[in-house]
Amino acid sequence: MAVPVQYYLVLSAAIFCIGLFGILTRRNALMFLMSVELMLNAANINFVAFSFQHGNLTGQVFSLFTMALAAAEVAVGIGIVLVLYRNFADVDVTKATTLRW
Amino acid sequence: MAAEGGIFTFAPAIAVLPFVSFLIALSAGRYMPKKGAFAGIAATGGSLLLSLLMVAQVASGHAHHMELYTWVGGEGVPFELTFGILLDQLSTLMLVIVSTIAFLVHVFSLGYMNDEGEPGLPRYYAELGLFTASMLAFVFSDNILMAFMFFELVGLCSYLLIGFWFRRSGPPSAAKKAFLVTRFGDYFFLIGVVGIFATFGTGMFGGPGVEESFPVLAEEAMSAMAAGEAMPEAVTTFFGLSPGAWFGVLGLLVLGGVMGKSAQFPFHTWLPDAMEGPTPVSALIHAATMVAAGVYLVARMYGFYALLPTLLAIIAFVGGFTALFAATMGVVKDEIKQVLAYSTISQYGYIMLGLGGGGYVAGVFHLTTHAFFKALLFLGAGSVIIAMHHNEDMWEMGGLKDRMPVTYYAFLSGSLALAGIVPFSGFWSKDEVLYETLVHGLGGSPILLGAYLMGIVAVFFTGFYTFRMVLLTFHGDPRSDLAEDPEPVRWNVKIPLAILGTLAAVVGVINLVPVHAVVGAVPEFLHDWLFHGPETLNGAHYEELTEQFAGYSAGAIPGLGGLGTLFASAGVSLAVALAGSALALGLYRGPDPAEHTEKLGALKTVLYNNYYQDEYQVWLAQDLTEGTVAGTAKRFDDGVVDGLVNRVSDVSLVSGYFLRRVQTGIVSNYAALITLGLVVLLVAFGIMGGWFGGVFA
Repeated sequence: MAVPVQYYLVLSAAIFCIGLFGILTRRNALMFLMSVELMLNAANINFVAFSFQHGNLTGQVFSLFTMALAAAEVAVGIGIVLVLYRNFADVDVTKATTLRW
Repeated sequence: MAAEGGIFTFAPAIAVLPFVSFLIALSAGRYMPKKGAFAGIAATGGSLLLSLLMVAQVASGHAHHMELYTWVGGEGVPFELTFGILLDQLSTLMLVIVSTIAFLVHVFSLGYMNDEGEPGLPRYYAELGLFTASMLAFVFSDNILMAFMFFELVGLCSYLLIGFWFRRSGPPSAAKKAFLVTRFGDYFFLIGVVGIFATFGTGMFGGPGVEESFPVLAEEAMSAMAAGEAMPEAVTTFFGLSPGAWFGVLGLLVLGGVMGKSAQFPFHTWLPDAMEGPTPVSALIHAATMVAAGVYLVARMYGFYALLPTLLAIIAFVGGFTALFAATMGVVKDEIKQVLAYSTISQYGYIMLGLGGGGYVAGVFHLTTHAFFKALLFLGAGSVIIAMHHNEDMWEMGGLKDRMPVTYYAFLSGSLALAGIVPFSGFWSKDEVLYETLVHGLGGSPILLGAYLMGIVAVFFTGFYTFRMVLLTFHGDPRSDLAEDPEPVRWNVKIPLAILGTLAAVVGVINLVPVHAVVGAVPEFLHDWLFHGPETLNGAHYEELTEQFAGYSAGAIPGLGGLGTLFASAGVSLAVALAGSALALGLYRGPDPAEHTEKLGALKTVLYNNYYQDEYQVWLAQDLTEGTVAGTAKRFDDGVVDGLVNRVSDVSLVSGYFLRRVQTGIVSNYAALITLGLVVLLVAFGIMGGWFGGVFA
C-alpha cells in the first residue's frame, strides 16, 4: 500500500517552509545552518518521492549527491561560524555588517 | 649628372660646410684653439669661394636646377615634396652676399668675442655656423616648402644667438620676443605654403628643367581668366574666389612671414630688442641673414606678386610707411645700436618699397648695398663698443675720431652710404628704389606716389639720425673717461671693417643707373645680370608681368621727359638727404653738443616710447587675448563643456548615494529579499503562464 506522492510533497513543502522561516527570523548562525539543512532535506524528500513515483533510481542517486553537498556545506559553514565567533565574540549574523559600503 | 653639372655638383657644399662647422664647434669646439672660430672661418670662406664659382658659372653659362631628394611622392600622391637647389642669378648673388658677410662676421668675432674672453664660445660658433648654413640653404631652395623649413631654422638660430648671454635678464626676453613675433608671421606663411600646394599642386619657384612652377601656373590662370577662357586644370581655387582674389589671399599669407622676418610694421617691434645679442650677431642678422630672408622671399617669388597689383601696392605702402615710421624713431635714440636697429627696419622698408613699386632690380640692388653698409655699421659699432668697454650710450662717447681712425673712416663710409650721399653705394640703390616707385606712380599707378612720398620724407630723417650718430660718437670732445682712453682694437676687427668700408663705398658701381642713362658705355651690371635670369625668373619677365597685370608703366614728370625725371628724382633724394645731414651737422657740431630732444616736447616722449607699439601689442596679447578672449573661452569650457559632464556625473553620484542604503549588510535582509524576489517572480510567471486558471487573465 503505497503512500500517495502528494503527502510527500506536502511534507517536503512544510519542512522547506520551516527552514525558510528559520533563515528569515533567526539571528544565530548555527540556527541558520540548521535551517539550510532542513531546506536541503526538503528537496531530498522530493527527489526520493518522485524517484519512487517514476520507478527509476535517478532521484535517489541525486539525493545522495545532495547529502554529500550538504556535508561539505556544513563543513564550510561551521568554519565561517567559527571565524565569525572569533571576530565578533558572537554568532549573531546581524552584527557582521562591516563588509558593506 | 656630375659630368653635366660640372662645378654645380658642389653646390650643396655651400650650405653643408657651415653645417659641418656647426657640428665641429659643437662637439670639439672647446678643445680647439679659438674655441671653434677657425672651423667657422674656414667653412664660410669655403662657402664664399664656392658661391663666387657659382656666380662665374651662372655668368658663363646659365642657371642650374637640381633635385636632391624626394621625401614625399610617388604613385597616388597628389604632389611631390622635394629638396632641391636652384642656382640662378638672384640666388647666386645672394649666396655671395650671405657668405661674405658671414665670413667677415666670423673674423670679427675673434676680436669681439675671443679677445674679450667671453665664456660659451663653442656654443657661439656652433650657432653662428648653423645660422649661416640655414640662411644659405634658404637662399638656394628651389621650392617654397624647403624655403619655409630653412626660414624657420634661421628664426630658431636668431633666437639662440640673441639670447646668447642667457644669464642676464635682457637677452632671454629679447630672444623670446623675436621668436614669438616672427613666429606669429610665420604662422601665416605656413598656411600660405599649404595653400600654394593645395592650389597649384607644386611649390616650385621655377628655373631650368622645372616643368611646373607656381608663379607660372598663377600667370597662366590669370591670363586665361583675363581672356575669358577656362582655368588651367592644375590650378584650383577655393571658397569660390576668382584666381586673382584667391592668389591675393595666398600672397598676403606668405607676406605675413615676410613682414615678421623683415621687421615690417607692425611686426617690427622685435628687431630693436634683438640688439641684446652680441654685436657681430646683430650684424649678421640685420645685414644678410634673418631680416634679409623676408625680402629675399618676395624677390624669389616676384613672378607671383607681380601678377597682383593690390599686393604690390600693399607691399609698397607697408615698405614706405615702415621706412618713415622707423626713421623717425631712430632720431631720438641714445644708444648707437638702437639707432642702427631702427635704421635697419627703415632700410628694409625701402627694399619692400622698391619691390612693391615694380622695381625688382632696385629692390635687389638695395638689398645688396644695404647688406654691405649695414654689416659695416654694425661691426663699426661693435668696434666702438669694444673700445668703450661695452658702454653703448652715445652721450658717453665723442672724440673717438682721432683715437680709432680705421673704425672712424670705415664707419663714415657706411654712414654716407646709409644716408644716401653720392657717390656711396646707398645713394645709387636708394635712389633707384625711389625712382622706380616714382615713375610707376606717375605712369598710371598714382597710389604708389603716396608710398614714394613717405619714402622721400624718410630720406630726410635717415640723413639726420645717421649724422647725429656719427657726430655724437666720433666728433667733439670725449664726454667720459672711457672715451678719453678707449681700448685699442686688433687686426681681426680692423680688417673686416676695412673690407666692408671699401665695399660700402664702391659696391654701387654694379648698377649706376643715372650714369648709364647719360654715358651708355657705363654698364648696369646688376640690371643685366638679373635680366638674364632663367625664363620666368628674370627681370625682363617680371617687368612684362607688372605691366600686363598690375598696369605698371614708366611715366615721367610732365615737361621733363624720361632722363629729366631720372635726374630730378636723384636730385630730390640727394637734396633731401643732404638737408637732413646738414640739420644734424648744425645741431650736433662742435666740441660739446647739446641734447636737442627736449625741444620736441610731447613728441619726444612718444618717440622715446616707440609710438607705444610695444604697449599696444602687450595689451593685445595680455589684456585682450589672455584676459578677455581666453577668459571667455575658459568660462565656456568650465561652464558648458566641463559643466555638462559634471552634471551628468552628479546625477549618478547622488542616485548612488541614496541607492547604496539598500545594502544593509545583514544577511537576513538579503535572504528575505531573495525569497521575496523569488515569490514575485513565481507569481509573475504564474500570471503570465495562466497557472491560476485564468483568474487574472
